[in-house]
Amino acid sequence: MTQPVSIIMIEDDEGHARLIERNIRRSGVNNEIISFANGTDAMKHLFGADGSGIAQKGNALLILLDLNLPDMSGIDILKQIKENKYLKASPVVVLTTTDDSQEIKRCYELGCNVYITKPVNYENFANAIRQLGLFFSVIQVPPAAP
Amino acid sequence: MTAELQPRRIFWQILLLSAGLLVLTVISAGSVYLVNKARDDSKWVVHTIETENQINALLLEIRRAESSARGFLLTGGPDFQSDHEKAVAAIVPALDKLTRQIGDNPAQRENIEKLSAAIETRLDQFSREMNFIKQNEPDQAKALVREAAAGDTTTTISNLANAMIREEERLFRIRSENSDRSQTLSASMTGIGSGFVVLLALISIWLVRRSSLARDEAEARLRDTNVNLEAVVDERTADLREANDEIQRFAYIVSHDLRSPLVNIMGFTSELEELGGDIFRRIGSLTHVSADGPSLVPGAPGEIALEDADQQLSADFSEALGFIKSSIAKMDRLISAILNLTREGRREFQPEKIKTRAFVEAIVSTVAHQAVEAQAEIHVEALPDIVSDRLALEQIFSNLIDNAIKYLKSGVAGEIRIRGRTKLGYAIFEISDNGRGIDPKDHQRIFELFRRAGTQDKPGQGIGLAHVRALVRRLGGTMSVSSELNAGSTFTITLPITWNASNRNADK
Repeated sequence: MTQPVSIIMIEDDEGHARLIERNIRRSGVNNEIISFANGTDAMKHLFGADGSGIAQKGNALLILLDLNLPDMSGIDILKQIKENKYLKASPVVVLTTTDDSQEIKRCYELGCNVYITKPVNYENFANAIRQLGLFFSVIQVPPAAP
Repeated sequence: MTAELQPRRIFWQILLLSAGLLVLTVISAGSVYLVNKARDDSKWVVHTIETENQINALLLEIRRAESSARGFLLTGGPDFQSDHEKAVAAIVPALDKLTRQIGDNPAQRENIEKLSAAIETRLDQFSREMNFIKQNEPDQAKALVREAAAGDTTTTISNLANAMIREEERLFRIRSENSDRSQTLSASMTGIGSGFVVLLALISIWLVRRSSLARDEAEARLRDTNVNLEAVVDERTADLREANDEIQRFAYIVSHDLRSPLVNIMGFTSELEELGGDIFRRIGSLTHVSADGPSLVPGAPGEIALEDADQQLSADFSEALGFIKSSIAKMDRLISAILNLTREGRREFQPEKIKTRAFVEAIVSTVAHQAVEAQAEIHVEALPDIVSDRLALEQIFSNLIDNAIKYLKSGVAGEIRIRGRTKLGYAIFEISDNGRGIDPKDHQRIFELFRRAGTQDKPGQGIGLAHVRALVRRLGGTMSVSSELNAGSTFTITLPITWNASNRNADK
């Protein structure tokens, strides 16, 4: 039996977070969205107090990650998620303003599943998010490692 | 050595040299003169001795004549007679010779005249004696001999001769002294002159030594300065590199961080727009409800006509949002441009061998349709192959070719020409067109970021040329434009034939 998937959104800009959330909702995805405005809180939530990630064992997660966070680099978070045996199966969507090809490549190498550039053109942005929502609705998120 | 010391040193060297030369000349001339004088003096000394000899020889002959005459008188031997005749015969030539020899001396001339007279008298006596003897009148002859011996002729002769010898001895002394003096003079002159020359040579050596010491010092200083200079240059280069990196980072971060709020502004502006649409529809429906009774079915909006005032409000609202959105779009383009530039500035170049002509032709083929649209022909001539970064070169050429096509004169068939040549390790490329040209006052401006020139009838951000120039500079080249309004433009790019990674890659 599949659990409802929780969407973990790590995004320091409240405006962006709000826009993302709105567009996801508009696309008809009603899963729980848990927002974090900084890396530290997000890490605490994901990896638990002991940092092992066991707290999330068995939870189906989908992670939306911004790379530019005030307290730590999104790349680090991505790396740690993909190195953690409980979390590595969770899909990670990187959502950021950077469209540097080097950085995109780096993210995919580290195991990011989708990389989306936040375009200033709002139509495109909204579209991308809605499609992401669509993607969420069909994607099968595996329960994290048994 | 300082600049003003140099001419002074040279002056001194020249002065020394000429002094040496002068001294040598004086010594030579003096020596020649003195040697001549010494020879002259010696000649005179020899002359004196000869004269003395001659006088003695004359006296000897007279004595011989006298003694042989006596012998003949005593013995009557024919030997004595012939001896006497020989002696008498020798006397006259000897006297003549003596007269010639002392012809230069007036005092001696007087003596010789007297001597000649005395000798003549004596010769006369001799001939008379001999005649008496030959006539066998020995008594007469003896008387004559006695008379002669008692007479003063012989004494006069010997006195005169002695006086002459004394005179000659006096002359000999004077002339020897003269000769000695001139020889001493010559020797001392040579000595002093040599001393002078040696002194000058010593001074010269000292000067040369001093100047070579100064030169060594200067060289050492120069070396030090060079080493310092290199260190300073390295330091400055490092500083500049750091500053440049700082600017790049700054531009990157700023443009990046500026983009984040822009996403919000754009997003929420769009949200507002939607919201505005909703609000105006609601206003419309409310006014219609109050006017026409039942409300319309929600979900079928749009067809509700707004009242005039509300319509005006809606239009103003949309207009304001339109301006905001277009400004945001523009700002986004600028930020993207800066981001791209900084990204280019951070990219590492990969030098590789490029067949430039084929490479440029490939670029030209990608813009073929634009060229056809603009009725332009592009000619690529032979171009020198270079070693450089392919991507950077592609951006440079495609930007310039794009520009050439973009800014042709409307109504005139375009002709774009790409030429190349090499000069001193650099490849020079020229991209020329017959387009609208650029006013000379704008030649600098067009290379600045976000600046454009001429009629603004084509889309563009004013980035291309700034970008191209930055790339050309990073490739170690230069770029320039020559153009007149309405007379086409020629962009000239000078790039090193072989781009050496070490000269620029060090900054990464």
